Amino acid sequence: MAEFRTCPETGLKIERNAENLIKWNVGIAVALLAVGGLFGLLMALTRWPSVHLLPADFYYRFLTLHGIDALLAWVLFFEMGLIYFTSVVILNSRAVCPRISWLAFGLMLVGGVLINIVVLLGKADVMFTSYVPLRADPLYYIGVILFAVGALIVFILFFANIINARREGAYDGTLPLGTFGLLAASIIGVVTLLHGAVIMIPTLLWSMGILPSLDASVYRLIFWGLGHPSQQINVCAMVAVWYMTAYLVMGAKPVNEKVSRTAFVLYILFINVASEHHLLVDPALSTWHKIVNTSYVMHLAVFASMIHAFCVPASFESTLREKGYTAGAFEWLKKVPWGNPAFSAVALSIVIFGFLGGITGVVFGTEQFNMIRHNTFAIPGHFHGTVVGGTTLAFMGFTYLMLPTIFRRKLILEGWAKAQPYVFGIGVSILSIGMMAAGSFGVPRRHWDITFAGASFPYAFDPSIDVFMTMVGLGGVLAAAGGVMYIVVALGSIFKGEKVA
Amino acid sequence: MTERDKDKMEAPGVFILALIFLVLFIVIWFMHHKWLTQLWPIG
Repeated sequence: MAEFRTCPETGLKIERNAENLIKWNVGIAVALLAVGGLFGLLMALTRWPSVHLLPADFYYRFLTLHGIDALLAWVLFFEMGLIYFTSVVILNSRAVCPRISWLAFGLMLVGGVLINIVVLLGKADVMFTSYVPLRADPLYYIGVILFAVGALIVFILFFANIINARREGAYDGTLPLGTFGLLAASIIGVVTLLHGAVIMIPTLLWSMGILPSLDASVYRLIFWGLGHPSQQINVCAMVAVWYMTAYLVMGAKPVNEKVSRTAFVLYILFINVASEHHLLVDPALSTWHKIVNTSYVMHLAVFASMIHAFCVPASFESTLREKGYTAGAFEWLKKVPWGNPAFSAVALSIVIFGFLGGITGVVFGTEQFNMIRHNTFAIPGHFHGTVVGGTTLAFMGFTYLMLPTIFRRKLILEGWAKAQPYVFGIGVSILSIGMMAAGSFGVPRRHWDITFAGASFPYAFDPSIDVFMTMVGLGGVLAAAGGVMYIVVALGSIFKGEKVA
Repeated sequence: MTERDKDKMEAPGVFILALIFLVLFIVIWFMHHKWLTQLWPIG
């Protein structure tokens, strides 16, 4: 028999199993962000030329872990929490098959820990992409597969939860917009993880010596069916968080919900195909194929992001206009709750995701521009704008709402919480701009020594890159400070925060 | 009043911001293009 409690603040009926699943998934996500963020700080301090902290082997090892922990594990664990929040809590329903949910959590945790151990032992210095013919220890691929199977189970449970909620009459009519956003994420998630199975299982067999060889271009093609769409799961979850935060903080509803839902459908239809932009310099694919996917299809997914980026602020404006803030075109902009960290995180997330991540993604994904940006430092500059300034910041903001609602704890250090989105957002922006500017001058990504000391053919970059690489270091330190503030407030509130009824 | 007109009426500030950003995007796109072609001249 499902046990429920009613949240005094939101009025939501919260089932015990779902509450515990959210707590553990979000708690582990925050812990993994701490680990991944630490490795990120070490990356920034190594690429900052005047510091150049780590030796080469540790640089590549920690870069691999930074990608695994910060890009994959933190974000996906948080999204698992969001899946239970949107498919159970928002629908006032119960979590189906709680034992299978815990099994999935266990698989993800064991997989994530295994990957970290194997990489730390120096047996898998293959970077996040693990491009063949780079070969890692089989345990690395087993860790990836366990993690992916766990996540796949949760995506499937999302569908089971909403079908069950409908059957038990927990809601009627259409799904709430936040749940609809996670529905889009889960559909993309299933497609993405099936790509992962198609490529990771043969790669495991190859690493064990059972398969004699694996075609590198086939690996890259199918890997990006996993690698980039997994970021689109993040985009859908992030946009859902934008809408949910607007509603929970201000009671703001989309001006035109049909438009917002249509934009989510555009993601499902077109965003996976756009992964092709990773392969724009790959000789194995035809120019026709590349141009159709990146210069045409990709823009339909970009269009969806532009719709959301204006629909969410429009919901703030229309809500405040209804409350009487109607002077001029922009009075509402002064009246939005800039001091509420959940709101400010979302506002900054929209701006950073749109301007630093989104626009640059369109530019770098265009074949002609890609020719001079591919594999440069500009590419991490782009995705630190999307995944860090966009998704991570939005999830940080949503944590501040989950702490009283799900964890039933008041925030500690409220002043820190208020400042945190600004410190982190500004830091990430400086980091991202520095990376993109240096990349424009040809500075390579994933490179320990850009002075090429001892190389047979010396090369010197334009001296102005020192300014941009220093921006990377300083921005990284500021972002890390914002990350520490978040982790202290989040974990401190979970363990030491005053209890909420 | 059409649905589109209604959207504009409910959030005119965001509508104006959207127009400003559209113009800025076009200007930045071409400036960026010019800068890149100067940085990496062809031929």
